Amino acid sequence: MSEKNDLRLSGTADKPVSDLEAFAEPPAVTVEGSGGQSPWRLAARRLRKRRFALFMGAVFVLLVLVMAAAPLWAEHVAHTSPNENHLSDQIDVGGEKINVVGLDGVPIGPTWRGEFFLGADGNGRDVAVRLLYGGRNSLIIGLSAALITLLLGLTTGLLAGYFRGWTDSFLSRIMDILWAFPVILLGIALGTSLALGGLKLGPVSISGGSLAIPIFVIAIVYIPYLARPIRGEVLSLREKEFVEAARAQGMGPFRLIHSEILPNVVSTGLVFFPLLVANAILLEAALSFLGAGVQPPEPSWGTMIDEGVARIVTAPALAIVPGMMIVITVLSLNVFGEAVRDALDPRAKVRIEH
Amino acid sequence: MIFVRALQNSSIAKLLAVVVLSLGLGTAVAACGSGSDSSSSSSSSNGGTEGGSITISQTSQPDFLDPALSYTVNGWEPMWLVYTPLLTYPHVEGTTGGEVTPGLAEDLPTVSNGGKTYELKLRDGLKYADGQPVVASDFSHTIKRVLNLESGGSFFFENIVGADEYLKAGDPNGEIKGIKTNDKTGEITIDLVGADASFSNILATNFAGLVPGDTPFKNQTENPPSGVGAYTITKSVPNREFVMEKSPNFASFNIPDIPTGHVDKITTKIIKNANQQAQDVLSNKLDYMQDPPPADLKPTVKAQAGDRYGETTTGSTYYFFMNTRVAPFDDAKVREAVNYGIDKPGLARIFAGELAPGCSFLPPGMPGYNEAFDTTDCPYGDPSQPPDLEKAKQLLKEAGADGTKLTVWGNNDDPSDKVTEAYADMLNQIGFDAKPKIIDGGVYFQTIGNQSTKAQTGFANWFQDFPHPLNFSFLVDGDSIQDTNNQNFGNVDNKQLNEEINKLTLETDLPAVADRWEAWDESLVSPPNSYIAPYGHRKLATFVSDRINFDAIVFHPLYNNDYSTFELK
Repeated sequence: MSEKNDLRLSGTADKPVSDLEAFAEPPAVTVEGSGGQSPWRLAARRLRKRRFALFMGAVFVLLVLVMAAAPLWAEHVAHTSPNENHLSDQIDVGGEKINVVGLDGVPIGPTWRGEFFLGADGNGRDVAVRLLYGGRNSLIIGLSAALITLLLGLTTGLLAGYFRGWTDSFLSRIMDILWAFPVILLGIALGTSLALGGLKLGPVSISGGSLAIPIFVIAIVYIPYLARPIRGEVLSLREKEFVEAARAQGMGPFRLIHSEILPNVVSTGLVFFPLLVANAILLEAALSFLGAGVQPPEPSWGTMIDEGVARIVTAPALAIVPGMMIVITVLSLNVFGEAVRDALDPRAKVRIEH
Repeated sequence: MIFVRALQNSSIAKLLAVVVLSLGLGTAVAACGSGSDSSSSSSSSNGGTEGGSITISQTSQPDFLDPALSYTVNGWEPMWLVYTPLLTYPHVEGTTGGEVTPGLAEDLPTVSNGGKTYELKLRDGLKYADGQPVVASDFSHTIKRVLNLESGGSFFFENIVGADEYLKAGDPNGEIKGIKTNDKTGEITIDLVGADASFSNILATNFAGLVPGDTPFKNQTENPPSGVGAYTITKSVPNREFVMEKSPNFASFNIPDIPTGHVDKITTKIIKNANQQAQDVLSNKLDYMQDPPPADLKPTVKAQAGDRYGETTTGSTYYFFMNTRVAPFDDAKVREAVNYGIDKPGLARIFAGELAPGCSFLPPGMPGYNEAFDTTDCPYGDPSQPPDLEKAKQLLKEAGADGTKLTVWGNNDDPSDKVTEAYADMLNQIGFDAKPKIIDGGVYFQTIGNQSTKAQTGFANWFQDFPHPLNFSFLVDGDSIQDTNNQNFGNVDNKQLNEEINKLTLETDLPAVADRWEAWDESLVSPPNSYIAPYGHRKLATFVSDRINFDAIVFHPLYNNDYSTFELK
């Protein structure tokens, strides 16, 4: 069986892709053995059969759109900002003036109307507005961190796997060090230290309260989880005939990595991506809950749960609602991500295990 | 004073263990407690019962069960009844409870040599709970332990002549030149380097509670030394429980102003889950919880047990510091604007109502405290009313500081984090561009007390160590400014105020100079100085089971709930 006929976008070590033989850009590839469909189209066809997964994908897109609309809700419906305290304010509910925060500190519950739709927190801040902004922060952090992890994880795995030798040893030991720490502990250690002093790397200076800090922390801690499997694949791929052929034709190492090896591992990265986003959102929530993620007064679902736990009896919505949002978001990403994985590579067993 | 209020959740296993234990204890108390209590008890003067045993709780283990070392409410509240110093305080509420009275000394000290020499004499016939006689040299040993163990309270005694040399020599059994004792006559003479009008209060701190002369120079938490007091600690299992039982011989000493206690045995359990504690007190499985019930359960507690729940304002002040060495707070007008812009009733809600909004730096019960100034006569308006935002904005504009970026410091202990966020929002409302910076409570005060941090403004509080204004004035005394571990967070350094502190330090007759302290306090807070922004005084709760005679409980201005007034109905 020729490599061409066995070509898969998943790019497993046994079934590599070569642009010398098959394609330069994955979507342009046509494979006879797959009924004349490109791997992308084949994957899309498989994905279309997973109705529930598509539904969950749509739920995630909807969540993204709703969170993106946070400023509109805040300005035109709730008439407040996420960090504005209303400790001594009163609102009119059914003709009755009610304290946003009672004298005994108990905040108002859901009003089911524009202002304080989901009630207020202990500082008199509108929970619905904070939920939307918090979700926006969680999604920004999750997506950005996953993108950075993807980029750095792929790069590290490609370099370590292709060059082997001291490059591999050096990069792999760094990965080993990162991997040696439990994700949460490493996240807390990095998050708390950076939240206090910020980050200064040459000309780059990030203040401790910036969202870039949790993005950076989460991105870093997940790199080994992507880099190691990529490295394994690259170690195998670099010995394949099509790579040797390219090398024999005088192709330089970086061009070879870019044009021969990367296309074979990029699908693994793609499969990882939604799962990385889901894990990043979970880790962000956990770190924020523990005070090492998003810093006050910026909202995040994790910090909202932390604030809500102390009010679980008198104002249960404070903890339950952001908790539900995390569940829905992560579930939608995981279900959709699993379906993407099955569609792109039904035999793969991609997991991010801590 | 370091105030421990760690409300931590325990693991489910611990929780179950505590519930089972509490149920077991509750059943045991219900089953046999009443029988044994009634058989061995008599009626108290308050209509309650003498004798019996109670079980109470703390959320976290006292820092130390050793008088030389403990510096928390958790430790001081019980140990006040175990280790009586030469001087102490009457076990009554209000300002009278804050007046120094003889403890193990026969009388108040004779002060001479320009306020630098204190002479006292031990009462005759005193014995520790273990039967050892009390001798004058035990006082010297007690102070040596405080100094030698590097206690948090050691700085109180560094003013004694020879204390520095004693510390430098490094010999625990060395001499402190400034303390002379005579075991035969019971006479004790203390020489100070400089006069200190609060030294009687220092002698009345828990640190100076007498312990036997052979008490080792190490932390004795697991085996607390004997003391002279209504109770003695008979069992200590750190992080689980400690037991106090009535001292066998204390009643025979007949020391005025020090009650001998009602219940025979007080078992203090360490229960991490404050919710569980509150539920157990509600259902009478526990008789008292040292921490206030969690805010979340307060409505339930008030509704179901309002007749055994109360709140009392403590000798504490919560304030925002403003660093006078850093812009924009080097401008008095800016500091004034901040004082006008603080929503004090709003902040009280963050404390779940456990904060009396106020304006004064000196707390209620402290000589020099002026209630009118703290409330209706506050220069920034009645603290129980909304802030004057317009005035604040106008002042800020006049100072040209609107739009200034600020970092507002706070720590992650409840409620500091929420207060700091609210404060930052208040600053934004009057025109600043403020962002809170919340850091770990364990490093907070060291961080803002380091000059290199250049902390602009933020959260601060102080609970009195003793009811003397000098215990507050050092927080704003220019002479106390340090590069590190600075407690004058705002670097307040006003020549007139400093001089007045120095003069008042020499005045041993505190009531006679109370009006001068009053004026000092007003000058500190009012325009044009406006050095700090006080916003209230913390209230603490008394919450007991239905078995306890709630009306008889004394909430002492310094040591809070007085266990020696706990009695069964």
